[in-house]
Order: sequence, then C-alpha cells, then structure tokens
Amino acid sequence: MAEEPKKGDAVGSGVGGREAEEEQVVNPWEVTAKDGGKIDYDKLIEKFGCQRLEESLVRRVERLTGRPAHVFLRRGVFFAHRDFNEILDVYERGEKFYLYTGRGPSSEALHFGHLVPFMFTKYLQDAFKVPLVIQLTDDEKCMWKNLTVEESKRLARENAKDIIACGFDITRTFIFSDFNYVGGAFYENMVKVAKCVTFNKVVGIFGFTNEDHIGKISFPPVQAVPSFPSSFPHLFSGKDNLRCLIPCAIDQDPYFRMTRDVAPRIGYQKPALIESSFFPALQGETGKMSASDPNSAIYVTDSSKGIKNKVNRYAFSGGQDSIENHRKYGANLEVDIPVKYLGFFLEDDAELDHIRKEYGAGRMLTGEVKKRLIEVLSELVERHQRARAAVTDEMVDAFMAARPLPHMFS
Amino acid sequence: MAEEPKKGDAVGSGVGGREAEEEQVVNPWEVTAKDGGKIDYDKLIEKFGCQRLEESLVRRVERLTGRPAHVFLRRGVFFAHRDFNEILDVYERGEKFYLYTGRGPSSEALHFGHLVPFMFTKYLQDAFKVPLVIQLTDDEKCMWKNLTVEESKRLARENAKDIIACGFDITRTFIFSDFNYVGGAFYENMVKVAKCVTFNKVVGIFGFTNEDHIGKISFPPVQAVPSFPSSFPHLFSGKDNLRCLIPCAIDQDPYFRMTRDVAPRIGYQKPALIESSFFPALQGETGKMSASDPNSAIYVTDSSKGIKNKVNRYAFSGGQDSIENHRKYGANLELVNECTSAISTFLSNDDSVVLDRCQVDIPVKYLGFFLEDDAELDHIRKEYGAGRMLTGEVKKRLIEVLSELVERHQRARAAVTDEVMKHSSQFPGHIGSGRNLHYFVEKRPYCRDDNNTRT
Repeated sequence: MAEEPKKGDAVGSGVGGREAEEEQVVNPWEVTAKDGGKIDYDKLIEKFGCQRLEESLVRRVERLTGRPAHVFLRRGVFFAHRDFNEILDVYERGEKFYLYTGRGPSSEALHFGHLVPFMFTKYLQDAFKVPLVIQLTDDEKCMWKNLTVEESKRLARENAKDIIACGFDITRTFIFSDFNYVGGAFYENMVKVAKCVTFNKVVGIFGFTNEDHIGKISFPPVQAVPSFPSSFPHLFSGKDNLRCLIPCAIDQDPYFRMTRDVAPRIGYQKPALIESSFFPALQGETGKMSASDPNSAIYVTDSSKGIKNKVNRYAFSGGQDSIENHRKYGANLEVDIPVKYLGFFLEDDAELDHIRKEYGAGRMLTGEVKKRLIEVLSELVERHQRARAAVTDEMVDAFMAARPLPHMFS
Repeated sequence: MAEEPKKGDAVGSGVGGREAEEEQVVNPWEVTAKDGGKIDYDKLIEKFGCQRLEESLVRRVERLTGRPAHVFLRRGVFFAHRDFNEILDVYERGEKFYLYTGRGPSSEALHFGHLVPFMFTKYLQDAFKVPLVIQLTDDEKCMWKNLTVEESKRLARENAKDIIACGFDITRTFIFSDFNYVGGAFYENMVKVAKCVTFNKVVGIFGFTNEDHIGKISFPPVQAVPSFPSSFPHLFSGKDNLRCLIPCAIDQDPYFRMTRDVAPRIGYQKPALIESSFFPALQGETGKMSASDPNSAIYVTDSSKGIKNKVNRYAFSGGQDSIENHRKYGANLELVNECTSAISTFLSNDDSVVLDRCQVDIPVKYLGFFLEDDAELDHIRKEYGAGRMLTGEVKKRLIEVLSELVERHQRARAAVTDEVMKHSSQFPGHIGSGRNLHYFVEKRPYCRDDNNTRT
C-alpha cells in the first residue's frame, strides 16, 4: 500500500492560502476543510497513504484482548492506521510493544477533544498490558506559540495532571516534557533522524518556509524519536526491536510518515499508527474550536451547570426549526452535534442506536437528546475533576521521573 | 563599530563556486583565498566587522596580568577581536568572566594548528585565573562528516585527552561533548536562540541550502549557547551577567556574529571574541593539503625523528636555490608586518586547499608561532633574510623547538588517565550532574601600573 502521500501535500501554516479553497489542508498546525465544508476522510486516507481500520481488525482486537473494543473503535472514531495489523501479529506471538502518544501543552484548559487520544490510549494500555510513554512538547509550544520557556514548562506540568487523571498505570507509564528530557540517547536519535531529512523535505511535509526560524525547522525529529525504544535507555535498554504503536489524531500523521520513512535508514523499526478523526466543535463541524471561545468546546473544568448551559445554547442541532417539521422530516444526523458527541461518549450501543433511530425519524426531540448528552458529559467531567483533584505534585514527579519500569510488561 | 558583516557574506559549502574566484570565502567549513592567492586579513576584518587587536591592548593585558603576553599575542597570531577591551574593563573592575573554546572532533590526529587555540586559552586561563568551558562538537561531526554517533563520541573522548594534555587547570575547567551534555538549561537556550534565527539568516551566514539536512540547519545554536552562563547551571547558577570570552580561529566568527546578534534579544550578554589567523601548512604553496597526507602538518603523535624528516623534506623554504644566491639575495620571508602573517595556505580541520604562488618561508613562520624568545627570532629573521644564515640552520632550530613541544605534549598526554577524564568531563547518563568548580580566586594577581610599580 502506498506509504507516500500524493503530490500537493499540506501547505499548512496559513501560507499558500489559495490551496485552502481548492483542497483541504491537514497538518499539525492547520486543519481546514475544502470550501468551508467537511473534512473528507476518504480523500485524506488516500492522500496520506494510510489504511482504513476495517471491522475485521476491531473484531481481532476483541478476540486478542478478551474484552469489548473501546467505544472509539466500535464507533469508528479511530478509523485509520498504519501497520496496526503487524502490532496485533506481534502481540499474538507473545511479543511486546509499547505505546507512544503526546500533547502540545499550549493552554491550561483541556477540552474533551484533547482527552480523546488519552482515553483511547488508557484503554489500549489496560487491554494489552503494555508500557506507555507520553511526550509533552513544551519546546514546540515555546517555539510556535512564542511562550517563554518557563511558561511552557509550567503548562506541561499542569497538562500532565489532567493526563494522569485519565487513569494511566503508574507502573507502566512514563510522562516527560521535552525541556526536561531531551539529551543523551534521545538527542542522539534526534541527530540521526535530522541527518536523514532535508529542508526541502520538511517544506513538503509540514509547509515550512525560508522565513521560518530554525527552531521550527529543527523540531520534527523531536516528535519522531519517541517512536524508537533506544530513546528511552532507562526503560528499553537492550530491546532495540520493540515495536511502537502511536495513537493520535490524524493531523499528526505527517510527523510519523516522516519517521517511518527515516526509520529503516537508521536501522530502526517503523512505528505503527492508529489514528482518530477530528473532534467536532460544539457549534458544528464547520465551526472552529478556538481556545479564545470558551463556548466552542466542553472543558474538563466546566461545571455541570456550565455544561448544561453550553449544550443547550451552543450545541449545533440537526433538528428541524419547528416541532411539526421535526416530527415530519426527522433530524439531520449528519450535522447534529449532540448525537455526534453521544457517538463519542455514550457507551451503550443499543441506546445510541435507539436515539439515532428515534431522533432521525422525528419521534425524539432535540431537547431530549441534549438532556441525555448533558448527563453523559457531566458524569465524565465529574469523574475527571475528582481524579484531577487527587493528583498531587508528587504524583506528577513520580510519573515524570526517568526511572525503570520493572513490571511494564507483566 | 559595524557589527554586521558586509553584504555578500560567506557563500560557503562549495555552493556558488563562482564566488570563490571573485572573493575569498571564510566560514567554519570552507576557507578559500581569492584566485588561489592569500587570505586578505584586512578585508576579512572589514567584512566581518570585528576589530584589529592593537598593540595597546596587548600592553594592557601585560599590565593587568602582571606577566609577559603570550607569544601568540606578541606575534600577532591572535590579531582580531570583538569587545576584548570590555573584558579587560570587567577584569580591571575586579569582576569575573569565563572562557569558552571548542573543537570539532573529526579525527584522532591533532596537528599543531589544532593546538594553537588551546595553547592560547591555557595562557588566558593562567593569566586571568578564570574558569573555562570546552565544547567538543561531536554532534556536528556526526552530521557533517557522516560519522556514526558512537564514532563521534569516541573521537571526542580521544581529542579530550590531547586537550587536557595542554595543561588546563582541572579545578577550573569543564570539558563536555554535545552528545553527553545537551539537555536541560543548555537545550532551553538552544531553543531560545533558534527562535531568533530564520532559515534565510543561516543561509546568509553559513551558506546552507534547501538541499541541506535539518541537522545542519539546526546546529548553529548548539555552538552559540556555551556563550551564555545559564547554559551551565552547575557552574554559573545565579551569575547571569557573567561575561564570556571566546578564543577561536577567525573562521568561527560567523557563529558568534549570529550569537551576538541574538543575545540582547533574549536578555543575555554578548560574548567577546579574540581571534587567530590560520595556521600555515608545511609545504607552503606548491602542494595540496590533505588529511590523507601526513606530511602536510606536524602531528602531536609524530616522533622527533619524524619531525626532523618532515621539516627537512617538506617544509617549504624561502631560501634561494643555491648557497651563492642565498648569500647574495637572502631568504624570502614575505613578512610585511607581523600582525598579518598573511599567507594563503593554512590548515583547517579539513583538507584540500590549493596553495598560493607567493614565496613564503615556512620554517620562519613556524618559529614565529613557537619560538618564545623574541630576540632570537629577530636575529634569525635578520640573518636569514640577509643570506647569512642558511635554510638548514633555520630548519634545525625549528626541529628542536617542535620536538621539545611534541615531547612535552606526548608525556602529558600519556599521563591523562580515565580518572582525570572523569573529573574534567561530563559522562553519559549523568546529564546535568557536572560538579561545581572552585574557580573564584581569593586574590587578584598584582597589577603593575604604567610606571611599572607594583600597586
């Protein structure tokens, strides 16, 4: 299957804006649909050269792990992959792999879209009983968001608390911030990767330009090298063939396309990927989730009252404009945000199907659907806030200490 | 004084070869004279925007340190600077500064040209009693010379032994290799610097191109940040205003021009520089210099016998072709003025440079570097220049001087044990765990004022 993306990859970074109208743009710093429409995931998969996550793979995961697949797998939130089948082969043979995911700590406030990869990764850790490294790219945010070093490091620690609150296993999880961890074997791997990637190449992949500062240009290897076990000598010493699986949103694919291209040239295994679609903004798929608009998302710091208010007032409804029309034509599920959000967070498949059927036929009203969503989200947020309140600075230090994890595979 | 270089800075890297004929190229990876001629140091100083190291500064150094200036200062080997006068002001006020120099460990074999900055830095350390950090850019060589990480680190360790053999004060010196030390505050500073330098800028300064890999493009901040005391929290914690002086060859100037431009934008002091001219190759002008040609330089591993052989056979002589002519016309010393020692041939870390056509006597030039005694050197120049001394005698004297230096170095190098290495440098797995140095001297050396009376 074609690894390479098609010509005319992400222009990104806002430069070459004309492309944004003609073609969708998906890269780590920009996600824009064509003509202000919806992201075409089929086209994206084809262009990036990754594969659809077929139903059969989901079934295989259930068989191998002996438990129901995570709701994100069942509902196709995680819908694309690279070599995930190889990871399952490895696991089936009784061999190990490790997980790698991350976050760019650009703000203190996390919303539910931010939690998606972490919720899924926790499931993967529990189901496969494997170790996990989590990278906080404070250096990246310092460079892209023009934060001070101190502020970036502070945000990294704050975000680490929310990440820990997702329930990762401390005996199997290493969280690190780049400003604290870069060095030694990790830095050696950065140099090895950087030697294999020309400036022209990063222009093509990420859309960098001659006016960009060399910090940005030098960053991609930093996000690449946690894919290689030798970057973590305190964890994986002597395990150079350990495979890596990266759960992430599909806009991160360019980093790992680059990594997979470089890996064999430096004698390393290619990381596998399992990729999610984009979490929709509250006001609809065509809206932009923006840190400066608190009503564009549900934040993990929102109160139940705040959630109720946001969902009722801002969640885009696919219902008809009058009850009569609604009973007649039913809701447009394609654009209805509450139903989409329930698709992410309502565990019960039967109940979700029921809601879709009834709401789509017009027998259930928007208000009922929103009410159910508010319940689900409130429960999630309350659990998260309790867990978050219990995370101390000592726990953060413990997760972030570069220490061996003797039971990481048990 | 103009800080910025003039337009049309280093093209470098071999790209834009047409410029090499029209204009000299001087950057960390390429030094080429115009039309295969000599490096014009006056033009270089003007283009780079640094300053000549005037005689008065040399005298001032002697006054402040209470000892004769190093031979390299007296003979104009170190001939240019940026803000060296400010460093002397700082010192005179009783404040401190630190030294920073380095080497790109691309080969195991060091020759005398490689030792020049280290010999001079040792003198500075002793004279001013200040701490010193020495950077071994193994990451750079891994990237430019396409060495493996392991090989680069190995070469760094080997080179560190030769550097230690130069006689640095272990209580005041921190040697580090990038692969071992990059991280923490050092990496934070790399990011701060990198944010301030665009790709266009490094193209202009270093001659990078779109075809270069991003390792090269990301490297300059690595060589910049040892100029900032906050890069060494285990040494200079709380001393953010500590000034830095960088002794180096003038081809390194681009790195520190960039650093000086960035420093105020990130709230740091600009480093000062004191810069040397290029060390001449043994064959003078008619041969091609090459790392694969061991006869193009005197190596610190050469035996006395080997030195004798090399000097006698390969050192380019400015003497005449017959004794009669020599007595008549004298040797061609090409000494316009001690401060320029302007010749086109030189030794860099790398190799092939086409030599120039002008007549230059290498033995006398080498004595200019290594013969301490000013009076004797003057005598030799006079007698040899007048034809009363023959090439053989000059070479004999050079062989004596070099042999003595090499023997001392080899004894010192043999004495560098792993224990000594451990105390001087950072080791893998201990990022950030360098130890503190006791470098603050209790008393300043006494200073002689202009009347040569003790204060």
